[in-house]
Amino acid sequence: MAGPLPPSPPLADAAGIRAAMEYYARQEWTDGLPVVPVTESYLAEFLARTSLPPDEVVLAMPHLNRECTVRLAAINAAMAGCLPDYFPVVLAAWEALAGDGYPVRGIWQSTTGTAPLLIVNGPVRTRIGLNCAGNVFGSGFRANATIGRAIRLTAINVFGLHPHLLDQATQGTPAKYTACIAENEEQSPWPPLHVEHGFDPADSAVTAIVIRSCVHIEARHTQVPEQLALDIAGTIRRTGALVHETISALVVLGPEHARLFAGAGWGKDNVRQFIYDHAANTRADLAAVGKDAVSRHTHWRLAADHPDAMPDRASGGDNPDLVPALISPAAVQLMVAGADNAGVSAVIETFGPRGGPPSIARVGDIDG
Amino acid sequence: MPAVSICTEPFVPAAQAMARVYGFPAYEFATMPHPLASLDQAQIQARARDLMPAVLRILGAGS
Repeated sequence: MAGPLPPSPPLADAAGIRAAMEYYARQEWTDGLPVVPVTESYLAEFLARTSLPPDEVVLAMPHLNRECTVRLAAINAAMAGCLPDYFPVVLAAWEALAGDGYPVRGIWQSTTGTAPLLIVNGPVRTRIGLNCAGNVFGSGFRANATIGRAIRLTAINVFGLHPHLLDQATQGTPAKYTACIAENEEQSPWPPLHVEHGFDPADSAVTAIVIRSCVHIEARHTQVPEQLALDIAGTIRRTGALVHETISALVVLGPEHARLFAGAGWGKDNVRQFIYDHAANTRADLAAVGKDAVSRHTHWRLAADHPDAMPDRASGGDNPDLVPALISPAAVQLMVAGADNAGVSAVIETFGPRGGPPSIARVGDIDG
Repeated sequence: MPAVSICTEPFVPAAQAMARVYGFPAYEFATMPHPLASLDQAQIQARARDLMPAVLRILGAGS
């Protein structure tokens, strides 16, 4: 513990609190960690932060005959440890998740083992203490930890996506516990993610992207933008990431790397274009791992001699021996997060968007 | 149209969970070993042959 205990710690019957927590655990209303017991009076504090009626549906999964309402989202946000002030961000997250399309179609049940990443922009970041700087993917910040967890607990408790049952992830990802970051707008040389997609800088907004792996880029040695961009492109194109014919990525630049690009006169579109041009594998490299063609039914990559194989798009292009991993520069999303203390960035391997904009929703009702 | 659902053995718990969601907890699946996606054509054909008795039984053939 940092610092002395407060002079008057709250008095409570710890056995009673523990009994309530153990009851929730026995009901399997948990991701494995303890959850916060929720009473009607506490729930009312969450519902007071939105003008939406409690029975309004925030996301439906028709194939499961299940839907999440504002009330159910609030219960799980409270259980996750959110403060009531976080609830408008949680609701915006649900709106963004519903707009993304993948969760509605059941991606959270997939063997691929994805998780929803939430990216928060705008003034709400500082208002509720969302971390956008050092250790941004790590632990230590209640708002980040609990807003992401609120989504996962809802997936388990409302949609019934328990591992080994309706959640069939082969391995999953640590991001399934929680994945919520904020953009370091103050140390970005470029417009933030939500402004790039048409929001006002004074808006607060949540972007939802389906993710799997988070791969770090070590590049502390260079001041050459092409070298850094090639390091990023080389990480994106790795053959192990190639499920479909093409893939998509969110590049989370540390402030130092973003400044390196901007200092050389590169805007976001320049970075995107360079990455698109260089995130390509040779035909021979793909053949070596049996991914040099696509399935005519699923368009997943497989070997050219597979009975279901058909040529990929690149085969009919000007340079059939160089196969782009991305379908367009827009398949790369760019944002800035992390501390301005080292040349470190990250590639988040995403399940879309592969061309269009990401799903972003404005945070409303902040003052409830 | 009569239909039979086929799943590999690791997916049986998920399939049964889906059956409960839809209100048919006793829904019967034809099952086969994992893996499937990496099999070659001859292995797939062998799987299909192996599955036929279970498929026909669930369809009610001969009953």
